[in-house]
Amino acid sequence: MAVCAAIVGKDNSPKYFCCINPDEELSYQYKVLSSLDIIEERLNPANKNASESKELFLGHLYSLETCKLYGYVTNTKIKLIIVVNAMNLTLKDNDIRSMFQKIHSEYADMVSNPFYIPGEPITSKLFDSTIKGIITGTV
Amino acid sequence: MPMERHLTFYQNSFNLPHELKFKPLSLIGFSGLDIVNNAVHKSIWETFNNRTEKAPILYKIISNTHTFPVIKPKRNSYDWYLPKGILKRNWLNKHLQEVPALIVIFFDLDWKDSLWNEKVIECASKVLSMKTALQGRDCRILVVLIQNQMPVPEDPLASERAVALCSSCELNAQSLYVLPHGQHLLGYTIRLEKAFFEFSHNYYSSCVKNVKMHKEYLDKSSHQNLFVRHEFKMGFLNELKQDMHSAYKHYTWAYKNLLDIQMTAVNSLELCTVAGFINYKICKLQFALNLPRDAISQFKIHIEKFKNNFGFPQLAFEHYAWLSKQFEIFADIFDEAVKLGLPAVQTQHPGVYYQQSAQYALIRKKMCQELCSKVIAYPHPDPLENIDRMEFYGQRPWRPGKIEPSESAIEDDGIQALQYLENQVSHSSLIISLYGLAIAQYKIYKCPRTRRYLVLEMADECYHSKDFGKALTLYTHMLSDYREEKWHGIISNILEKAIICAYLTASVQDYLQLSFEVLSMYTIVSIEDKRRIYENLNRIFKKQIPYGSPKLSHDILQNAIILWQPVFGRDSLIFDLDFTNIVNCLETKVKFCNSTVQIDQSVCLEVFIRSTCPFPLTINDIAVKITTQHINTEFRVNPDQNTFTLHLNEVQKFNIEFEPDCRDINSEIEIDHVIISIGNSSECLATLKFNGQGIQKALPELQYFKKSQESIDFDGIKAIPKATLVPRNSKLDVQIEHAPPALIGECYEMYISMVNKESCIITDLKIEVSKDENSEVELSSTPETSIEKSPLILQSPKTMDPDAKIVTSCFVRAMKPEVKNIYVKITYRLDSDKPLISIKNERIILPVMQPFMVDTQFLSGTMQHIQKFYAGEKFLMNTIIRFLSPFTIYIDDTSIEFIPPIKGAEMYTKSNLTGYSFIQEEIGSEVFVALSENQSDQNLAIANYIITWKRENGILTKTNITLNGHHCDWIPLNIEVLTPAYGIVRTPTVIKYHLINHSSHLVQLDVEMEASESFMFSGYRKNTTSVLPFSTKLLQYNLYPLLPGNVSLPKLILTIPENSTEGPALRQDQLTQLIDRTVPYSIYVMPQIKGDIKQSSVILKTNESRS
Repeated sequence: MAVCAAIVGKDNSPKYFCCINPDEELSYQYKVLSSLDIIEERLNPANKNASESKELFLGHLYSLETCKLYGYVTNTKIKLIIVVNAMNLTLKDNDIRSMFQKIHSEYADMVSNPFYIPGEPITSKLFDSTIKGIITGTV
Repeated sequence: MPMERHLTFYQNSFNLPHELKFKPLSLIGFSGLDIVNNAVHKSIWETFNNRTEKAPILYKIISNTHTFPVIKPKRNSYDWYLPKGILKRNWLNKHLQEVPALIVIFFDLDWKDSLWNEKVIECASKVLSMKTALQGRDCRILVVLIQNQMPVPEDPLASERAVALCSSCELNAQSLYVLPHGQHLLGYTIRLEKAFFEFSHNYYSSCVKNVKMHKEYLDKSSHQNLFVRHEFKMGFLNELKQDMHSAYKHYTWAYKNLLDIQMTAVNSLELCTVAGFINYKICKLQFALNLPRDAISQFKIHIEKFKNNFGFPQLAFEHYAWLSKQFEIFADIFDEAVKLGLPAVQTQHPGVYYQQSAQYALIRKKMCQELCSKVIAYPHPDPLENIDRMEFYGQRPWRPGKIEPSESAIEDDGIQALQYLENQVSHSSLIISLYGLAIAQYKIYKCPRTRRYLVLEMADECYHSKDFGKALTLYTHMLSDYREEKWHGIISNILEKAIICAYLTASVQDYLQLSFEVLSMYTIVSIEDKRRIYENLNRIFKKQIPYGSPKLSHDILQNAIILWQPVFGRDSLIFDLDFTNIVNCLETKVKFCNSTVQIDQSVCLEVFIRSTCPFPLTINDIAVKITTQHINTEFRVNPDQNTFTLHLNEVQKFNIEFEPDCRDINSEIEIDHVIISIGNSSECLATLKFNGQGIQKALPELQYFKKSQESIDFDGIKAIPKATLVPRNSKLDVQIEHAPPALIGECYEMYISMVNKESCIITDLKIEVSKDENSEVELSSTPETSIEKSPLILQSPKTMDPDAKIVTSCFVRAMKPEVKNIYVKITYRLDSDKPLISIKNERIILPVMQPFMVDTQFLSGTMQHIQKFYAGEKFLMNTIIRFLSPFTIYIDDTSIEFIPPIKGAEMYTKSNLTGYSFIQEEIGSEVFVALSENQSDQNLAIANYIITWKRENGILTKTNITLNGHHCDWIPLNIEVLTPAYGIVRTPTVIKYHLINHSSHLVQLDVEMEASESFMFSGYRKNTTSVLPFSTKLLQYNLYPLLPGNVSLPKLILTIPENSTEGPALRQDQLTQLIDRTVPYSIYVMPQIKGDIKQSSVILKTNESRS
């Protein structure tokens, strides 16, 4: 199970942020924001392998003492980020990938919702509980 | 001051000792060099030391009084030996600085020295004394003779004396060297150094062997420390020997052996210290051997093994200090390797380790606060008295060399002493400097966001160290970067901290600026905090000291209040706050009502203001600054100084109107900024500067998805920051009258008629006619062909009364069938109280076409089409004018001007077409007779055909068309035939053939006249004739027509005689063609006139006269 998930817009502004432990939200926000450095660099067209690959899952971005961060970028440059506790050894890359795919499809549904204003932060409670379900592995 | 000495020593104890960081170099001692007094010695010393490509050797001058470290007695058995520690503090230094691998004795001695014997004795004594000093060491002694004379090859004296010297010094022959001091000092030095290096190499190898020998005596259970020590020694000796691979191997073993030692609270510091040393050596070597991945994984393993604290829990800070230092050291080595060319990547670079080091330093600080804050006294007696005289690395000064803990009282005293010292350490500065190092690295490796995060951490630390000013600067600098990416959660967090700093430093400007930002709806701060800040804002406007955050401690607040007191001392305070790129609780949007403004109308602006502050805001004034080329003015919304209040989510709209400056015509008016003033000018006033365009949304197109229930949809308003001033709309009624299309070459007249529909008199009227640049159109004001320059200024009256009408005209002449643009620009001034200039522009699209096309046909004398001319031979030119114009064209005249060598063959050239009018699709035709005087290979330009024409009621136009013909050949013979126009049955008539030779040669011809049924004729039937040069031969026949009608004439046949002596100037085929062209085939023969003889005789007479 992951501890935090974030959806970041094309302009790098946060669209959605969820953290299993609400007290740690701010510190995870900093971590997720820092990981954008690495995502940006990977997406930089100057890096050859970045632009050619059609794979949306960026894999492991970087590790800190306490956690590991994974990234995923949709074709419209929406960035999804998942934070996993460093002690958690049960989650494999493929599990994370499928988590991302689920979040991606949830996000696509969210954007299709006529009551959602594109570009605004997502505040839907249903969406929140679904994403929490995905990252805790209960869905 | 023992305490201060202890503190420095304590702080340094976490650093690597200097001798460990020193690059291991083979040590070679030089004796007998007097570098102070002897210039030669000095130059030798300098040559050895100051070379670019120096071998890894450290040279050291050994004076005569030098004492070498005492040799320890050799141990034969380790059975009862218990080592007191792992690494001795003096061992490294001993091998780096004190015990040389080789001693070189320099001695001034030439082979031919006069005092040879005495000097030999002196040298021998020097060698002997050195030998005694080095008794028991494997150190080798070399003697170098410094000589003034260059060595001579095969010098018997030299070899003899060398042997003698060696024997008296008890040295073998390999230990004696000669260094001639002269031109090639450098070369000799390099060779000597090579030899020295070899000796030192051998020395260290034997040292390694010695250490290895001890291994056999060791016992795993009691000598674990020695296993580490020996491997470390071998590693280090190998490094001195410059054998990095072996050194790396031994250090790895040392590390492995160290891990075997059981860690307890008593030895944890020593183990950690030594592990740190060995790890340093291993990582450094791995980087040097280009194994960066191994270095990183070694370091990770190292941290993993020693991460948990096994020491005294009371000294936990010590462990974190050590951990922090480990990361810092590794980052240093990494950075060093990068500087030497190692490529690092975004996720793996020195900054990562500096950051971690800072993180551990933070924990150390926290631990210190927990454990040491209660320690206020330093224990007595001083348990750390011997801190700088320890035998082993990493041992406790109160129990050196002990494995068991001391009595608990002594132990407690020692711990207390350390805690006391730790409390003195300035942790914040350590942490800040580590963050500084990390930030620099993250900047290099393109991690701007991580860098910002670290800057914030640094700011937090500045805050904790009570450096509020620096913290505030860092926070505010970082805010602007975070604002860009709209992470409002983070921004709010920073704002909260920054506003506290602004409060604590009594920085009013920052406090106001931050307050407005905090009050914005985007900032996620509790409503209580917002209320407190809102109230503080109001207090500042009343020149009262704001209240601090209740979270702050009392003494800090006290200091802040002292700082605030002088702030409000001045009479009136005005603060300029720049919110051009910052989201705050007020938003403004300004738009021009129209994007173009006519100069005679006033400019109208709409200003919208929205408040997102949860509390009402009282606004003093709103002003908009407008800039153009000529004005730069602030326009205020309500000049009468009424304040008004704005509530949450309320939008208010204001209008501004002003008169534009006439000089700014055709330029842009721009909104520079909007200023909102809050407070009052007598006490404290804040002016907030906005860009007037609202918050820039990242994707404006998404704006359309938003719905708003508010009366004024603020988000939906599109700010229009620019407008263009344009001239006023002219009310002049302009009509252009003309009859398109224009015909090429004609003077096409256009009438411009204007009616003044303005309410007042027009003055300074100016009518300009212009064309496209590069357009081949001639403009003129008169129908003459003189070209006037563009723009053409038409003559007209300068003033016009209301409803007056002016008609003027201009002429256009176009030379190509294209569509042309003609522009008419009418400029005038209104004779009103405001002298406004008005401009009226008209564009005329004018199609141009050809009036007619002229074709020509060329015919021979017998009316056949010809493809070439013959010099001197007449031909007919038939001109065909095909009229294309939709208008009727009247031909005034046509004329032809032949171009030499063509000339006309007629006297009579009156035009046939004069006076006729033609409509579209009609054709007018004329025939001219001409001949070419000379031959020409090129197609000839025959004539200029000049047609003078006009439209009905138009102006006459002359069109000159050049007619092109064929090329012209030359043959010597020409025939001219004179026949009557017609013949009459049974009435004789004469036909004359002129054979004209216009060459300088004789032309001989066989002439034959074929018989014809229709005629009887007289003349030569068959004859040979000669035509002399430049002369004409006449052949005359009398014809007697027998039949009426168009009857064939008797056929003239000319042939070139077979026996002709003349050259091939004339060929038979040319001759045949000539006859075809010039000799008529037939003639009309009339029947005989019956009755009136008189008439018939008249006809006959005219016939005769013609022939």
